[in-house]
Amino acid sequence: MTPATLVDVQELEKNFPLSGGGNYLALKGIDLEIRKGEFISLIGHSGCGKSTLLNMIAGLDLPTGGTVLVDGETVKRPGPDKMVVFQNYSLLPWLTVEQNIALAIDEVYPGLAARERTALIQEHIDMVGLGHAGHKLPRELSGGMRQRVAIARALAIKPKLLLLDEPFGALDALTRGNLQEKLMQICNEHQLTAVMVTHDVDEAVLLSDRIVCLTNGPGSKIGNILEVDIPRPRQRMTVVHHPSYYSLRSEIIYFLNRQKRVKQWQAKPHKVQAAHGLEKVNLDLGFIPLAACAPLAIAEAKGFFAKHGLDQVHLVRETSWRGVTDGFLDGTLDAALMPSGMPVWMTAGGHGGTPTPIVTALTISRNGNEVTLAKRLAEQGVNSVDDYRAWLQSHNREPHTLGIVHPASMHNLLLRYWLAASGIDPDRDVHLQTLPPAQMLADLKDGSIDGYCIGEPWNLRASREGHGVPIVGDLEIWNGHPGKVLGVREAWALAYPNTHVALTKALLEACQFCADPAHWDEMAELLADRRYLGMKKELISFGARKGSKGEFAPHGEPHHLFFGRGVNRPSRTEHLWILTQLARWAEIPFPRNYVEILERICNISVFSTAARELGLDDVSYQRGAIELFDGRPFDGNDPISYLNHVSVHRDFSVAEIPLGVPRPLAA
Amino acid sequence: MTTSSAPTTSRGDRTPPTGLALWWKNNRKLIVPPILGIGGFLLFWQLSASLGLTKLAGPLSLFTEERTRELLFYPFFDRGGLDKGLFLHSMSSLSRVALGYTLAAIVGIAAGIAVGLNKGLDRAFDPLFQFLRMVAPLAWVPIALVLFQNNQPAAIFVIFIISIWPILINTAEGVRQIPQDYRNVALVLQMSSGRFFTKVLIPSALLYIFTGLRISIGLAWLAIIAAEIVMPGTPGIGFFIWDAYQNSYVSDIVLGVVWIGAIGLILDRLMAWLQQRISPGQ
Repeated sequence: MTPATLVDVQELEKNFPLSGGGNYLALKGIDLEIRKGEFISLIGHSGCGKSTLLNMIAGLDLPTGGTVLVDGETVKRPGPDKMVVFQNYSLLPWLTVEQNIALAIDEVYPGLAARERTALIQEHIDMVGLGHAGHKLPRELSGGMRQRVAIARALAIKPKLLLLDEPFGALDALTRGNLQEKLMQICNEHQLTAVMVTHDVDEAVLLSDRIVCLTNGPGSKIGNILEVDIPRPRQRMTVVHHPSYYSLRSEIIYFLNRQKRVKQWQAKPHKVQAAHGLEKVNLDLGFIPLAACAPLAIAEAKGFFAKHGLDQVHLVRETSWRGVTDGFLDGTLDAALMPSGMPVWMTAGGHGGTPTPIVTALTISRNGNEVTLAKRLAEQGVNSVDDYRAWLQSHNREPHTLGIVHPASMHNLLLRYWLAASGIDPDRDVHLQTLPPAQMLADLKDGSIDGYCIGEPWNLRASREGHGVPIVGDLEIWNGHPGKVLGVREAWALAYPNTHVALTKALLEACQFCADPAHWDEMAELLADRRYLGMKKELISFGARKGSKGEFAPHGEPHHLFFGRGVNRPSRTEHLWILTQLARWAEIPFPRNYVEILERICNISVFSTAARELGLDDVSYQRGAIELFDGRPFDGNDPISYLNHVSVHRDFSVAEIPLGVPRPLAA
Repeated sequence: MTTSSAPTTSRGDRTPPTGLALWWKNNRKLIVPPILGIGGFLLFWQLSASLGLTKLAGPLSLFTEERTRELLFYPFFDRGGLDKGLFLHSMSSLSRVALGYTLAAIVGIAAGIAVGLNKGLDRAFDPLFQFLRMVAPLAWVPIALVLFQNNQPAAIFVIFIISIWPILINTAEGVRQIPQDYRNVALVLQMSSGRFFTKVLIPSALLYIFTGLRISIGLAWLAIIAAEIVMPGTPGIGFFIWDAYQNSYVSDIVLGVVWIGAIGLILDRLMAWLQQRISPGQ
């Protein structure tokens, strides 16, 4: 505990006895340090125990485990040094505004002279702007005014710590906004330390220095702590323009949605159901809305899952790849469509947690990505990467941001490779930011990003809607690069080997279906449905684009490869290329045990079994070196020397990634 | 169908009512029905008495019987002993009520707070309270007489024991119903129990306490009549009625009943007014 720490919550646990016997574990393992002068928000779904946590800091409720220290002393009872502002104001209705405030003052400063007492009361009534209402009874005041009185009452006794329990929850939006500004101003002026419970995301971002997100109960814990780096004083109308605002906001919303999804998932029975000789036939399959999810949609619509015995496959639409990662980490997803870089990324611990081995037995799509630059750049004559480099040099005063969907996606790696090979440092000359696809289009429209690299339909949409111009396609960077793969946890694959084969078969058959241009129209129609992409059919295309305004894919080749020789079989060389690129940009350390990692990631035997049982030719493994547009070969024999010789790279490290012994999922 | 000409023709005919006419227009719906109701009832009563359907004297007998008219118009005379005007009888009754009721209020509020604050006490005594409150006023009279061996304290005891239950039960409920928010405020401010009592508990439970007091004043008044009727020899309105009955002064009984009703109503209104005065803001 540092001297600046005011509140120190250690290993806090709260167990409520239930009326019908037993206990409800509300909170578990809460650790939180709050510095003096800090404003903390506690956010989470109803019933996650955020008010319980606040009450325990206040001393209104005592923990069943762990301690709360305020100023180094264990909280055993409530006290005026930890003043609480309650959601329903808690004014005494038979006392006037002045008397309500006086009640608190008299308790804390019993010997105060009458004149000072009056002055103190008046000062705080004025502070919250209620100078004219001192003699009124609470029932004569509006909700917002009552809450202001409650705040004045709390501040009048100069607490060390101000605790607010959804203080503005019951107010209308306008009043809430005004009160938020007032509270912020008072907190700034008096250097108050405050903890606020809220479920309003914008309120949390506006007011807080840090936002503590609590997971759902039972046994809620701190899921995430976000630092709000928006400088003070803040204004409600201007914070929204701060670059961090929307990312913080979407981070919290993502967190809350994730909690909701986990809750919904937990509400349903998840007993492993075995049938048809398969270990598990009830599968939750994650995807995000992109044209490359077509094989999943087709497998569902055309009954390929059921054909191979998987009669209870449920497609789970995530809004970002992060949802897929988290779904794997918390076990709510059985398998997912994922960017081809994600298996190595998660296996090497790129998500920031323990390395989680992921297995892929099928490459679902290749190609399908493009780099789009904003229309305003095209209007200034930026039509090639050389133009862009020159344009960046002439506009080096402003920050330049390019959007990617995920650090482990091919979009990031291809974009970086392309920029670096063209003399643009992807970290120094521009800034690459992870954004959800829909957000990218909005950002491109309002000019906060220069462009992005993403899969369809987002490039076609940008050009059709006139916000962006495609500048380079992946066919020109690396024709035939792996796009999306089928990923499962290694432990899952070991526990359900026959299910894994069946899933691979179903999707491989769907890939074959999707590769036929005769089916593209039907696929576009299917994907246009709300369950998948939820956008106009015309915006979803799989083939070469020609004739339309943003004419592209100059080689006239199919834009998405779903099936064919060498298309679907997982390739260790490709995953090694991804591994070296991720290390090159310091997303992960380069694993010294890369051979073991690749061995465990690429499950060729499952693919071969699936292909053989479908009667498809076991397509040969591409042994040749990978060659990208710059003509630099990558053969995978000496990745470290390759890394040392690429012109632009970050300071990468080489480290052993401990994966442990492969172990099947416990039933 | 032409609608355009209608407003201009009708406007001139109606002058808006003013003064008394306006008052009458606004209030007639409140005044006419009770007059009709009470008048009808009195008429029915008088008719049935005049036609000999019942032995009970009709309302007009208050004026026609000389004895009764005297009692009606001269309530303040005192010829010594039990021969007094109705006002004096009533005052005797009221003073008994005041004593018993005050005792009941003090004990009832104190016990109610104790029971409301303490769950253990509540569980221990609640069945007893619920049981005792169901005992009828008259049933208490013999017990009171055995206990006190004397009419005067026995009558006061009956009033006390009848009127304490609503006060006690309502006070306890009022204390139990103090919102957790108010308790939290007291907790956070670390109020002493004395301050909590005066600043939070009493004001918060006041509405309930007054509800109990108001119910009890009615009960106390009911009880006194019962007590006095079975404990003759003491001046009081109950005795007056019993005495009139013994002497077959039927119209006197009617007059006594009218007094009882009127005083009961006044007491209730008085409590209602006090309640309004003392606990505003709720």
